[in-house]
Amino acid sequence: MTLTLGFIGLGVMGRPMALNLVRAGHPMHVYARRASTVTPLVEQGAVACDSPAGLAARCDVIFTMVTAGPDVEAVALGVDGIAEGARRGLIVVDHSTIPPAAARRLASILAERGVDFLDAPVSGGETGAINGTLSIMIGGCESAFRRIEPLLSCVGKTVLRIGESGAGQVAKAANQLAIVLTLQGLAEALTLARASGVDPAKVLGALRGGAAASRILDAMGSKMVTHDYRPGVEARLHHKDAQIVLECAAAAGLAVPGAAVAAQTFNALMARGGARQDSSAVVTVVEAMRARENQCAWLSLCSYD
Amino acid sequence: MTTSLGFVGLGIMGRPMALNLMKGGHAMVVHARRPESMKPLADAGAVTCTSPAEVAAQADVTFVMVSDTPDVEQVILGPGGCAEGARRGAIIADMSTISPAATRRIAAEIATKGIEMLDAPVSGGEVGATNGTLSIMVGGKAEAFERVRPLFELMGKNIVYIGASGAGQVAKSCNQIVAAVTIEAVAEALLLARANGVDAAKVREALLGGFAYSRVLELHGRRMLEADFKPGFKAALHQKDMRIVLQSAHELGIALPAAALAAQHINALVGSGEGELDSSAIYKVLGRMSQAPSEG
Repeated sequence: MTLTLGFIGLGVMGRPMALNLVRAGHPMHVYARRASTVTPLVEQGAVACDSPAGLAARCDVIFTMVTAGPDVEAVALGVDGIAEGARRGLIVVDHSTIPPAAARRLASILAERGVDFLDAPVSGGETGAINGTLSIMIGGCESAFRRIEPLLSCVGKTVLRIGESGAGQVAKAANQLAIVLTLQGLAEALTLARASGVDPAKVLGALRGGAAASRILDAMGSKMVTHDYRPGVEARLHHKDAQIVLECAAAAGLAVPGAAVAAQTFNALMARGGARQDSSAVVTVVEAMRARENQCAWLSLCSYD
Repeated sequence: MTTSLGFVGLGIMGRPMALNLMKGGHAMVVHARRPESMKPLADAGAVTCTSPAEVAAQADVTFVMVSDTPDVEQVILGPGGCAEGARRGAIIADMSTISPAATRRIAAEIATKGIEMLDAPVSGGEVGATNGTLSIMVGGKAEAFERVRPLFELMGKNIVYIGASGAGQVAKSCNQIVAAVTIEAVAEALLLARANGVDAAKVREALLGGFAYSRVLELHGRRMLEADFKPGFKAALHQKDMRIVLQSAHELGIALPAAALAAQHINALVGSGEGELDSSAIYKVLGRMSQAPSEG
């Protein structure tokens, strides 16, 4: 049986994911806030809709890929949102990264209207989205998951149902915790080399072949060395996710000391104007603590002389 | 001239604060979710109400003392909330500790109805509330503050007008950072002494006379040495306050690494089922970290 699909949110991640579903031969409806972003999908035969509600009325399964919790809530429950147009039996698959508590709340509200909501955040970045090799972590009802599992294999390589509603977002929070700490560690390691008068590029080359090797080191290490912060992954997204990690830890009554410090580094990066830089720019925060230049205005008011 | 006062939220802090206001000779109307909380106030002559709206309808100044941001939103803006009953020109003084951003939002919303809001969080705990010696940090319009100041003076000693709406809550966040990080420092110092086999009580005594003196070293340091963690200030509340701090840091883009770290140890305390202990029990968390599994 052919399922009619919908996709909402066609940004850096959503667009290639939706294209992979279209190429697999599924009829597709799309919606995005900025009309221009739907063009590449329409060129491949997708039908553009003028609201999430209008899209929901025609679809069996809807994928959403927007930024933060409030965005997902607006798309799902807001004016002209999915809930207004949804038929009973609709499955909503949310690929955005949002707090587990927000995912559970959405799932229970939509369940009252006969709509299944799966949290299905992804890891793997733009490259993984284009190549269809994302890692997808799913939380929610098993039977709904079974129905859409073949669709997810069009966009991801590792497709795992972690558990009940919210469990996918917990897995993503754990993923982001590991990533922000790895970034912090890598930034400190390369700054240690530089501050000690050693060529950080050579140190990076050595690390790559040893026990400190990692995908983050491969993707971000040379950006830290060359101070080239074109994204990649925009730091504002890791900043958002780090706060989700801290909220999860507080709710669970758990100490996450490393993540707590890494989150502060991302806070500082936002203040330094790094929101749309690559996350590897966290190295500038580590470097700035020792630098005498480039201090922000209110700190320079303090005189230590 | 006596002013008609209202008080919503009569817990450990709110009850003695409301009683101190009544000692100033003011007529008082009160509301609390649990009727039994209103009893001591009714016994002292206060009129009890079934909703915050009913309180606000009869009061020139309504004080609010509840737990968290959603509680304040509910009490002021929710159905049957203060905003439904308050007259134009009335003042709502929120003495709870909540998010500065939420405070500004609530103040702006009720300003459209001609109601003034002051944020006036306190420091000093149950003892300070009972003795009328609280520290009160106030944000909001200066004229509103001047009108309420004589009433604050019935509840507190150190009353400081900080600035515009939200500024009182910002000051309270600063207070909680200093408290948490100082508790952390005192706990680590006393643990280092013990790990060296040195008498930690003597170390505390020596430090009290020097540059490391602080109220935290004096009071919380003694609690740590005596393993007496009766609150005081409950870890669960300190956790709530540190979440506000870290949320502000996230929104503003400012790194607060030490506060973030101390907050993690408070998380662990709450997660260990010790949220009802005084937050100086951070000492226990740090002790557990370095304790071999066979010990204790």
